[in-house]
Amino acid sequence: MSDLTFKFDLKQIKAEIQKAIIECSQRGLLHSTKWLAEMNMALKDVEIDPVDSIGQHSPYNIGEDDVDLYVLAKTYFDLKELDRCAFYTEKCTSPRIKFLHLYSRYLSGERKKLHDMTDTTLPPDPTQNTSLRELSAELRIEYKAGKLDAYCLYLYGVVLKRLELVREAQNVLVESIEKEPLHWGAWLELAALVSDKGKAPLATLPNHWMKHFFLAHTYLEQQLNDAALEVYYLLQQNGFEKSSYITAQTAIASHNRREVDSAIATFRSLHKEDPYRLDNLDVYSNLLYVKELRVELSQLAHHVCEVDKYRVETCCVIGNYYSLRSEHQKAVLYFQRALKLNPQYLSAWTLMGHEFMEMKNTNAAIQSYRQAIEVNRRDYRAWYGLGQTYEILKMPFYCLHYYKQAQQLRPNDSRMLIALGETYEKLDKCQEALKCYFKARSVGDIEGIALLKMAKLYDKLQESENASAAYIEYVTDNESNQAGDKSEVSQAYKYLANYYIKRNQHDEAYKYAHKCLDFEETREEGKALLKTVAQTRSQADREIISNISMSC
Amino acid sequence: MGRFCRTLVERVNNPALAEVKMAGAGEMDYEMKNPSEHLNVDILRKLVRSYLDLHQYNAALFWADKVVSLTNDNPKDVYWLAQCMFHLRQYHRAVHLIQSKDLDKTHPLCHYLTVRSLLAAGGYSDALQLLTIVENDNSLSRTTRVISLDSPGDGTMDPDCPANLQSSILFIKGQVLEAMDNRELAADCYRQALRSDVYCYEAFDALVQHHMLSSWEEMELLDSIPYSEQCKTPAEAKFLRQLYEIKLNKYQGPYQLAPRPLEIGTITSPNPTDQPFKAKWALDISQSPCDPQKQPTPQLLFDNPDNLVVKLLPTNLDVLVAKAERLFYNCKFQSSLKLTEEVLKKDPHHSNCLCVHIGCLVELKKSNQLFYLAHGLVDLHPEMAISWFAVGCYYYIIGKSDPARRYLTKATVLDRLFGPAWLAFGHSFAAENEHDQAMSAYFKASQLMKGCHLPLLYIGLECGLTNSVMLADKFFLQAQSIAPNDPFVMHELGVIAFQNQEYDRAEKHFEEALKLVRSIDDSVAEKWEPLLNNLGHVSRKRCKFAEALDYHQQALVLRPLNPSTFSAMGYAHAMMGNTLEAVDCFHKALGLRRDDTFSTTMLNNVIEQLIDDTKPFQGAPEKLPVFKGKKTPTSRVHRIISYDDQNPDDSSMNIDEEGDSAAPIMGETANDSELINVTAGSSASFEVEMQDTSSQVLDKTSP
Repeated sequence: MSDLTFKFDLKQIKAEIQKAIIECSQRGLLHSTKWLAEMNMALKDVEIDPVDSIGQHSPYNIGEDDVDLYVLAKTYFDLKELDRCAFYTEKCTSPRIKFLHLYSRYLSGERKKLHDMTDTTLPPDPTQNTSLRELSAELRIEYKAGKLDAYCLYLYGVVLKRLELVREAQNVLVESIEKEPLHWGAWLELAALVSDKGKAPLATLPNHWMKHFFLAHTYLEQQLNDAALEVYYLLQQNGFEKSSYITAQTAIASHNRREVDSAIATFRSLHKEDPYRLDNLDVYSNLLYVKELRVELSQLAHHVCEVDKYRVETCCVIGNYYSLRSEHQKAVLYFQRALKLNPQYLSAWTLMGHEFMEMKNTNAAIQSYRQAIEVNRRDYRAWYGLGQTYEILKMPFYCLHYYKQAQQLRPNDSRMLIALGETYEKLDKCQEALKCYFKARSVGDIEGIALLKMAKLYDKLQESENASAAYIEYVTDNESNQAGDKSEVSQAYKYLANYYIKRNQHDEAYKYAHKCLDFEETREEGKALLKTVAQTRSQADREIISNISMSC
Repeated sequence: MGRFCRTLVERVNNPALAEVKMAGAGEMDYEMKNPSEHLNVDILRKLVRSYLDLHQYNAALFWADKVVSLTNDNPKDVYWLAQCMFHLRQYHRAVHLIQSKDLDKTHPLCHYLTVRSLLAAGGYSDALQLLTIVENDNSLSRTTRVISLDSPGDGTMDPDCPANLQSSILFIKGQVLEAMDNRELAADCYRQALRSDVYCYEAFDALVQHHMLSSWEEMELLDSIPYSEQCKTPAEAKFLRQLYEIKLNKYQGPYQLAPRPLEIGTITSPNPTDQPFKAKWALDISQSPCDPQKQPTPQLLFDNPDNLVVKLLPTNLDVLVAKAERLFYNCKFQSSLKLTEEVLKKDPHHSNCLCVHIGCLVELKKSNQLFYLAHGLVDLHPEMAISWFAVGCYYYIIGKSDPARRYLTKATVLDRLFGPAWLAFGHSFAAENEHDQAMSAYFKASQLMKGCHLPLLYIGLECGLTNSVMLADKFFLQAQSIAPNDPFVMHELGVIAFQNQEYDRAEKHFEEALKLVRSIDDSVAEKWEPLLNNLGHVSRKRCKFAEALDYHQQALVLRPLNPSTFSAMGYAHAMMGNTLEAVDCFHKALGLRRDDTFSTTMLNNVIEQLIDDTKPFQGAPEKLPVFKGKKTPTSRVHRIISYDDQNPDDSSMNIDEEGDSAAPIMGETANDSELINVTAGSSASFEVEMQDTSSQVLDKTSP
């Protein structure tokens, strides 16, 4: 991963970016244009030849195209009169107008689907996709004829992806990127498609500087946070230090690494610098939620609401805010609003699932989680949530499957492993359960219960040796950091005391029985235990004495 | 009009010239007798014809009547008078007139007109009787021939050139026979008509439109038409043949037709042989569809650069309609619709095109457009069957079967031979699972359209749905005998074989069908998604799981997000033992269709199996790591577990295995045997679900 070469010719990069900005904006690819423009801004200090400068090009300077038609089509497109745009551009073959035609048809189909949506808890019915299918059939013919340029290929890839033809979509997007490496949208779509196993298409990608951004983004998606951070740091060191995009991405990486404080710090500085930037603020609000920073979250919620009420990020922040105030109904309402704005918005689906869980509405929770997974299979929270709901529904096999998925996505997260172990225990597969607990312990037990679970399981299996060893480990751990649940700790002491009594190791038994007295629940039992210890000890002493006297 | 008036004036100015041209002894006598009361009958005759041309039939009738009286029943004048009556729809009057003058058996034109009038008046048996009498009487047929030989270009006679009178009589005989439901003989007559006059399009159209011939017979007819004898130049012959050719053979693969070299007469066909042809076709496919010249239509016929019709009449509407119809039959509804829209823009009342257009709209479920079209048609042509057919189709696609049936019945009443209406009528029943009624409608259609395999195909389909598999097979075979190269029939045969558990045969049929579909067009139409899925099913049955998956994947490309395809893929994966993939597929299937019991049951089975198949997590150790705790409480060792804490990333834990051999190992052996049981058990239950017990499959999964 670190064999990437970081030799950037910033001048050239900036020239390329500026050219791409024109291309993208002429085609109405607004998000890519925005991303590129931000990058361009980050390279503000880099001087380039005036010939390449963006100021030299007027937006309508589109070469050999039919300018009149283009201007008309673009105007309709900008005004979202998509069908009209498609109608006027139907027969034109010049690349930009053709793209506008296809793109407006795609967008119009998607928009209609969105408008036809009746139930907010459900996304538009994926089987109602005639317009999409028509578009894909048409594009397929052109694709086979090799008549698609980079942008049309991108669109074809998007259409294929929407139709869940993942393999085809991947190939087409890679082709698109080969032809036009500066189109960030194509990279993004590809990143969502790269599965964990199949990294094959990555090898064929052109070795362009954009690839670094893509790789970092993909690493982040795949929870390879360290690798992602490495690339981002290198990018920052090589001229992109002013990019707010990279800063935000590093913050997300720290969020994934559970470094909550540093992530919050980064977001805070970013927010100060660019107060009206709403991108990624949902992650920020998640962080604030986890840290239960009520005031900050409240301030953020009011601020974003003021900036733009109808952005998915805004709805998400407000939803989190209500959730923290335990107003789950309202939270769901806001998440639903976010989804109405964009049914492909991942975090809202997952968070809504969490809210439904809080409201004990398992069915709706399952729906939401499933949708989240439909949108992005790599969302481990949704998998974990599904596991939890099925656990409530007492369907351990399903539950196990979902936990496994979550665990695969986060191999080093002990929570998934513990959940797995518990489910195995329910299925009476103690061996597997133990393996899970072992692993949980080895990856750093966040909640500190792996040992306890292990000890209890050993106890159940009547392997008292192992059980006691685990308990000892547990209590010693607890002595140092006092994190564990009081009753659990007391029970551990009780168990140990009993264990040593049985084994006639009075000193240990006495020690643990004494510890029992520290806890409310086990005080009485502790006293009884102490008594037993004293009795057996005196009995043993007597035996020893009698033995001695006998030998005398 | 202008030209006509001028000729009239000319004649008036040159009475002498007109007199010379006059024929018939009676008039001559009359003129000779009364030269002073000179009345030029010829002028009156011209008058009759001019009024006829101007469609003022009453005026024409008046003057024709006078001419007849003046000329003492000159047969030609009687003919003209009868014609006026015919135009005025006074058929019985015309018949009576001719018969009262005893001309119906002696004068060929009068004979023809009598039959026509009788046909129009509904007197079929009288017409047939008359025809047979005349046919047996050689004298008349001789006269016909004499006339046709003697006066090849006699313009004064009538607009119906006598050269094709014989074929017209044959054609009308065909019509009479058809009206009497004697289709076999009618088809014969049409064929004879076409042979005696190659330009007799109406006979050809009757044969084709009413589906009287099977595709094989159509081919035969096409070859047997004597183009070279009757056409003046070879180019004309070729042109004519190709004109007919594009109208024919719609259900066939294209390669059947065009590469066959023309075998007629002395024409040396410039057509290349099979091989280069196919190559050319293959090349054309890669062209853009935007370019109308190089459109990769599935039809070789239209790509043939030597095709005169396409070359000379690239924008002729009939040619375009034929092209659209072929596209329609090849399931290219979108492109077909584009063509028909274009045609209808130029000629909104093109009836042949309307039929294809309605078909496309139905296939694409464009109810709004169809609604508007039907309204327009009913307003303008309430007497045409197609208008009501359109209305019926509209109700059919919006799922209102009752009104659909009502209007379709109306269409069939207006035109008994309108096959599409009968088929749609059957469909409206089939859509509601009324198999018997659907079948009877299809039967009616099959009686009407002897040469069309579609009714038979649909009957077979209904039989299959009512579980009379043998009967279905019979009907499909019958359909195949009519249209041997229709992939739809092959597909259905395959389905029946599949239901009979004859998987070899099913596979063969499916593969044949696929081959045909591919030969029509490389990019398979969406309509063929079931074929690919069925191929997948059959491959699975024959334990070719990888192939099955491949077919299903192809099916998904044609029609994405189909839940049953995902189920089938999951099933195949489960059979292959790819439990994880199977779980994924069933999940997807259930996500798209929640109340799918098969997928639910399968998912339950598979997910349970998955738990046994897979390790608890990636890189989980085979054996249980040993918990090595120091039992002496005095020791202050914190790390008592025997793996390395430092390296959490290392998924393979460093387990101290050579230590305790007494470590409790439940053992993989026990696990294995359990797994086998589960597999066998679950696959048995799969079989119950799918209602097929193939021991092969069972053997495969339980080692």
